[in-house]
Amino acid sequence: MKAEESSLRGDTFSILERGGIYIALVLVLVSAAILSPAFFKPSNLFNVLRGAAPLGIVAVGQTIVMLGGGIDLSLAGVMALTTVVVADITQGQNISLVPALALVFGIGIAVGFLNGLLVTKRRVPPFIATLGVAILLEGVRFVYTKAAPSGSIPPLVRFFANEAVGPVPTNLIIFFLVVAGFLFVTHKRPFGRHIYSTGANREVARLSGIDVDRVTLLTYVICSTLAVLGGLVLAGFIGYADNYLGRGYELDSIAAVVIGGTSFAGGSGGIGGTVVGVLLLTMLFNIVLLLSLPIEYQLVVKGAVIIAAVALYSFRTNRN
Amino acid sequence: MDLTQANLLEMRQIRKTFPGVTALDRVDFSCRQGEIHGLIGENGAGKSTLVKILAGAYHADGGEIVFDGENRRFTSPHDAQQAGIGIIYQEFTLLPDMSVADNIFLGREILLHGFVNHHHMRTEALKILDRLGGNIRAQQLAGQLTVAQQQRVEIAKALSLDARLIIMDEPSAALGGHELDMLFEIMRSLKSEGVTLIYISHRLSEIFEICDRVTVLKDGERVGVKFVAETDESELVRMMVGRDFEDVFPPLSEQANEHVVLKVGNLSCGEGVQDVTFDIRSGEILGIAGLAGSGQTELVRAIFGADSEVKGDIELNNEPVHISSPKRAIQAGITMAPEDRKTHGLLLDMSVGKNITLPIVKRFLRFLGLSSKKETETVERLIANLDIRITGHDQKVGQLSGGNQQKVVLAKCLGCEPKVLLLDDPTRGVDVGAKFEIYRLIRDLANNGAAILFISSELPEILGMSDRILVLSRGRLMGILDGKQATEERIMELATGTNSQVEAIGEAVHHG
Repeated sequence: MKAEESSLRGDTFSILERGGIYIALVLVLVSAAILSPAFFKPSNLFNVLRGAAPLGIVAVGQTIVMLGGGIDLSLAGVMALTTVVVADITQGQNISLVPALALVFGIGIAVGFLNGLLVTKRRVPPFIATLGVAILLEGVRFVYTKAAPSGSIPPLVRFFANEAVGPVPTNLIIFFLVVAGFLFVTHKRPFGRHIYSTGANREVARLSGIDVDRVTLLTYVICSTLAVLGGLVLAGFIGYADNYLGRGYELDSIAAVVIGGTSFAGGSGGIGGTVVGVLLLTMLFNIVLLLSLPIEYQLVVKGAVIIAAVALYSFRTNRN
Repeated sequence: MDLTQANLLEMRQIRKTFPGVTALDRVDFSCRQGEIHGLIGENGAGKSTLVKILAGAYHADGGEIVFDGENRRFTSPHDAQQAGIGIIYQEFTLLPDMSVADNIFLGREILLHGFVNHHHMRTEALKILDRLGGNIRAQQLAGQLTVAQQQRVEIAKALSLDARLIIMDEPSAALGGHELDMLFEIMRSLKSEGVTLIYISHRLSEIFEICDRVTVLKDGERVGVKFVAETDESELVRMMVGRDFEDVFPPLSEQANEHVVLKVGNLSCGEGVQDVTFDIRSGEILGIAGLAGSGQTELVRAIFGADSEVKGDIELNNEPVHISSPKRAIQAGITMAPEDRKTHGLLLDMSVGKNITLPIVKRFLRFLGLSSKKETETVERLIANLDIRITGHDQKVGQLSGGNQQKVVLAKCLGCEPKVLLLDDPTRGVDVGAKFEIYRLIRDLANNGAAILFISSELPEILGMSDRILVLSRGRLMGILDGKQATEERIMELATGTNSQVEAIGEAVHHG
């Protein structure tokens, strides 16, 4: 009797816990409709989705790192450096875009290697390693720009970040391609299994013949590479380079991942939750704007959502 | 002992289940004031669970605890401490970078005007330490003490809480002969002060030396309580094991196979393994015996490439191989079932299927990515071969019983189609029925041509399963015995370098 009751309660709870994020998304949509009818105007929805793409792209990278048991605080630094370098080298011209892209992706991969090597070879805790790298990147950027970024973003980048194919924003398509790539890797490639098992229990993974250091290193490289892509999409969307572009994306991406239910300790979670987490955050920001509340309220809302999500998920851990 | 003494502690009908296993099934346990009460049983018999419930670390699912005449329910270790129950675990809980005095009064610092009064704490700590002897200074850092001294500080900590019942969970496991005598001296003096002690050990000789009475647990049930003066070792062994061990093992391999699969030459790894040389043939089970912590685990880990700083030569089918990592080992055809399946063997939150295919997932790679059809076929075949009882491939491994979990570990090893299988205590914490199945499985594997290294913490298992037995002591090879002629006495002679039959019987029924 008692066992049945508790298992019934467990089921209700696990529906809430697995579906909680989707329920939250619906609730936000409904309250948006009530609070601000302007939200559902096609032009606004288009803007919301377009605004969600840069965060979405880097949040995919963050998800990969966090599934593997790490965290990347340096991705905002990579985004910012990407925008100023591209603006400076191209000076807003398509002609020198190719070398500029080669350079920024090179930088991204190098930063990923640096993070990954610090974490695997030097055993630096990921939080500290990537924080150090983030600060380093900020310094490099200020030295490079002398704190006054110049130039602008070439039209081609702006096109990919800003236009639409029919009703769908181009940068959203890029985001979906990244998500599809993630799904392919996690479901159809051994590497996906390796990431999950490395995050769940590094020693078990190692004793199962997985090169865990290589797996970890690659998660950081992928994340930094996606940070470059996210930086380009963001810069194209905004249209110019300044000192603040990309700021806060490291924490926002972590927030989206955590809201999406990926474990902070690694090994469990997935991309579906992260996508919803990204949409949720972006929509909430948008609603704050539509209600003509001061922009500072975005922070209040963001904080509240993160706390609510984490409090819900920690039930699960406590129960086990 | 005064038999008219009332019971200080009575635990009645204690029940505790963990997912997939009943750890305690209506266990009664009682202690009289001022006695030393032994608690023995095989691995997984429920000793540690029982005392953890008493110490407030676990909650019983049913039953009641009467301590000092009052019905109690300890919801936290703090609760139990307040009531006067102290516990000393196998792993010490001292903070190595804090002084002895700070450790003893951790969380209960003595204050003066709101500030920590170090002077007072030191004098109080010294008072207690003096009772225990052993030359420990209150301001020494705990990390600098020997294991025996640390244990004494743990006891001091319990006494500082005015503990009237102290539980010792295998305190002798880490002690040498002289240190053990000192511990017994302390226990006797505590007893004379009226402190009641519960003493868990797998060494029967100690039970007879120090305890008044002994309670025997088996498979989560109480088998009986005896005055040590009225029983003997063979009776206790029978109570613990519950059967004669000879019948449960499959027959040894009949014809000697001459093909040497693995040759290990002068293998060393840190302090744990020193200069070990042996070989193993196809179809052979080579048991590895020795006292706990004599290098058995380190030896198989070294062969598997799990630890760095391995020196020596390994030849596989007469070809020298260099095994620098578990990945290389698996590629070469060597797999290992690690000692601790929960932290080293399995991903508890992942499905049975994904656990089994973890080392071999690359094999299912096709042009369009992983083929789930091929993977499912493999998983199903292995689950059927090993008779793993599950509700589906997607069931999480953490929900299975110990025996089924261990079979998943074995399935994972078998999926790699190994030539050499390293099994580190594969029946640890597994219930009796599953044990017998695992014995048969291991023998079947050997009969199919695998070379198997088999570690067990239970000597009868080694004797029953092994074609030959390799005995280690402090990481060194002491000798290799023929399985048909080996006896516990002969193994223990080699393992200890002495001639102690008592120890041999004690080790036979290992700890849990």
